[in-house]
Amino acid sequence: MAHTEWIHALEKVVGADHVISGSEAGTFAVDGKVPQAVVFPSTVEETSSVMAIASEAALKTIPWGAGSQMALGAIPARVDLVVALKHLNHLVDHEWGDMTATVQGGMRLEDFQQALGQHQQYLPLDPPFADQATVGGLLATNASGPRRLFYGTARDLLIAITVVHADGTVTKGGAKVVKNVTGYDMNKLYIGSLGTLGIIAEATFRVYSRIAWEKTWLAPFLTLDHAEEAIAQIMDSSLVPNALELLDKAAARRVTNRASIGWTDGQYALAASVESVAEEAVDTQIEEIGRISRKVGSPGGNLLHDEPHHTFWREVRDITPGTNGTAPRHLRAVLKGGVLISKVADAFRVGEEEAKAQGLDICIVAEAGSGIVRYYVSAEDRSLQQFVEGTVSTVERIRSTCEAQEGSLIILEADAALKTRIDVWGPVKGLKLMQGIKERFDPRQTLNPGRFVGGI
Amino acid sequence: MIQGKTRIVRELEKIVGPNAVIHTEEELRVYECDGATIFRALPDMVVLPATTHQVAEIVKVCHREQIYFVPRGAGTGLSGGALASQGGIIIGLNRMIRILETDVPNQRAVVESGVVNVWLAQKISGDGYYYAPDPASQTACTIGGNVAENAGGVHTPKYGVTTNHVLGLEVVLPNGETVEIGGKVLDPPGYDLVGVFVGSEGTFAIATTVTVRILHKPEAVKTLMGIFHNIEDASNAVSGIVARGIIPACLEMMDKLSIQAVEKWAKAGYPMDAGAVLLVELDGPKAEVEALADLVVEVFQAQRVREVRVAKNDEERELLWKGRKAALAAMGQIRPDCYLQDAVIPRTKLPIILKEIEELSQEYGLPVANVFHAGDGNLHPFILYDGRYEEEIRKAVELGARIMNRCVEMGGSITGEHGVGLEKQDFMPLMYTEDDLEAMMKVKCAFNPDQILNPGKIFPTSKSCVEVGQHKRDRIRYEPHRIEKEGLAQRF
Repeated sequence: MAHTEWIHALEKVVGADHVISGSEAGTFAVDGKVPQAVVFPSTVEETSSVMAIASEAALKTIPWGAGSQMALGAIPARVDLVVALKHLNHLVDHEWGDMTATVQGGMRLEDFQQALGQHQQYLPLDPPFADQATVGGLLATNASGPRRLFYGTARDLLIAITVVHADGTVTKGGAKVVKNVTGYDMNKLYIGSLGTLGIIAEATFRVYSRIAWEKTWLAPFLTLDHAEEAIAQIMDSSLVPNALELLDKAAARRVTNRASIGWTDGQYALAASVESVAEEAVDTQIEEIGRISRKVGSPGGNLLHDEPHHTFWREVRDITPGTNGTAPRHLRAVLKGGVLISKVADAFRVGEEEAKAQGLDICIVAEAGSGIVRYYVSAEDRSLQQFVEGTVSTVERIRSTCEAQEGSLIILEADAALKTRIDVWGPVKGLKLMQGIKERFDPRQTLNPGRFVGGI
Repeated sequence: MIQGKTRIVRELEKIVGPNAVIHTEEELRVYECDGATIFRALPDMVVLPATTHQVAEIVKVCHREQIYFVPRGAGTGLSGGALASQGGIIIGLNRMIRILETDVPNQRAVVESGVVNVWLAQKISGDGYYYAPDPASQTACTIGGNVAENAGGVHTPKYGVTTNHVLGLEVVLPNGETVEIGGKVLDPPGYDLVGVFVGSEGTFAIATTVTVRILHKPEAVKTLMGIFHNIEDASNAVSGIVARGIIPACLEMMDKLSIQAVEKWAKAGYPMDAGAVLLVELDGPKAEVEALADLVVEVFQAQRVREVRVAKNDEERELLWKGRKAALAAMGQIRPDCYLQDAVIPRTKLPIILKEIEELSQEYGLPVANVFHAGDGNLHPFILYDGRYEEEIRKAVELGARIMNRCVEMGGSITGEHGVGLEKQDFMPLMYTEDDLEAMMKVKCAFNPDQILNPGKIFPTSKSCVEVGQHKRDRIRYEPHRIEKEGLAQRF
């Protein structure tokens, strides 16, 4: 199909004002590759027709939510069409009595949360930039945040899904009930698949009630050894924090500063958030966490509740690279490591050492109870080449440390110049099976070609 | 029938030793059915490997000879999944029973798939930990079987099902290749193969080792029982508990017929004229459990609860649970046979479906007792019949189908924890379109392209992997209208 033909075909489906092409499409570039057109379907049916056309015309197609995580993934092999889902943004239902809710993939998480909030319910997912991200986007990238410690991630919350496949077929998986084993659990397949198997058109979640009381104990530590011991003791107890976050000195300084919390520089921070229907249950746990922290060497601590509590966690969630978040965009990279819970402090040590050796700025934040470590690497005044060289070496070093502990390291965000130098995903177990699934779901490599693991 | 059976028996004996291959009919009878006793199929042979390597070697033989094979744990499954329904070899994993590692600081354990569920709990109990999924058969069922079925249990409202606790697997693919997927560390890059594997009912590959999450025991546990005048009040209490944002560890319900059967059988002290009983277990920090218990009692009272019992110690707790646990055994007093259903509904629909089940029971003239996981809307209607009468069997099956139909119409599911297996494959189209099923088939074919592993399960029609996705393109490809084809008009 010639260029004008498929553009017209798309216009016919979604209306001429919902297709943009030429220079206007420039803002939808992925790793610098500008699509020939961007199409904005408003319904599942339109999305299906769009994909049927894309597949027929052999267009390499990239699904796009809010664009907040488009830096994730390897450089796409080719970009012809972006399918932007911002109009596929309706709440389908909120069965508040059953505590389930269904949304379209292009709905922003924040809008979804507001709708759920009318019945004092919410989706306990708190990924970075939750105020911009769309539900489909956060599912496709398996984004998560601190509360995963108690509530888990998308795989623990998603109960049904509707997907538009590469050829336009629409299928669903799961059911709108919290327990279901009918057929395979297709929900799991699409979470974190980075849009390589289909476009997430609708998602049904198990949602939760807002809990009345929530407070945070913020404990400073002078050394990682002490923080490590505190984490181990909290985890090996009957305490149930909903989040347990370790911040390196730079991150602790920035977050406390932004949240207007009194803080002495040069300390690590361990933040434990506790919630309950009973204030007493929160207070006794906070007390115990404070006691453990002091016992292993924490010189003080702050109790956060109400606004400072919320501000603190928002700032933790939304950290960006650079000491003030001001590093030029091409001199930034965000890495995500997965390690054993007992190796979180080691993962900090290797990051600190390597960044220092490479002369890079680094901020490190970890979901300590889950073993997820985020590294925010940046430089203020280096050449791109210097930054890339240093970061490549940093990634390699941290990656080999994570892998030695059965973990992994991926690049969440980086300039294309860095991505040409190093595999953003690293080695993957079971790759052949994954390739077999991709081959069957998208034999013509229509969706997101080359962006996912092992060239998928 | 397997071609050259003697030759293959000999070859398998070389892999596992002569006492680990079963091939005489008397001995094979043991493997003729699983927990769903209405289905029976005699395998051609049974092999009992002790290591992953042996499993791989057996599978290589099956692959080379294109012999069907089926993995089996303890055979406690309730949907016929562990049967060699089309003949072939059963690979019994009951000799793969080592707990390979308990890594308490990292809250992980690695077990071979034949390890019995409760053994793991026992092993880590001394360290203050437990493994959350606790299906009713946990003293017999294997963790590998739990993975296959994505087994539930009574603690699911708060702690989820097997899939929420399985992080890694070592599997032997149907071509004999051994692959590791997932592991102890969270968020491995790539597709969530472990997530889609759990609940695949032994149709993807044979899991040989399983890496699971283990949890620290809660500080406090409190068990309460509410005795209600009728099932509506009890159902409304369930909705009330959920609506208040209380997430109990367990929330179980028994109806009048069950209460009477159980009381006669187990003497758990239930009033014979009670309309329904709710069993609630709360766990967590002590102060929270106390606060939640007060809220639960408030909800109970709002539904005119007749009596509330709170266990003051382990002994009293056991007593409250005694009736619930004796349910299945007690049903035998009413009718000799029982067809256990497993459909799920959105929780707020409980009062409606229970009333409809009551009506169906009268329509068919078969007693139906309900003992179930109310907290997640997972019904377990015990359809009671006498298997000596063909007519009663037919009625029981039809009644079960009617219940499933209604549950799906209300937005639910045909199975919450027992699986599809042989039992419910014909009902799959109630929930899924042909396209939905085809997407599932594609995943299966990526693992099991020859479909020699556990054939004839889950899907309503059998299709070869070559056929999957074949006519698809024709069906959905953009079709020019006839007037376009004939040059009468142009769309572009």
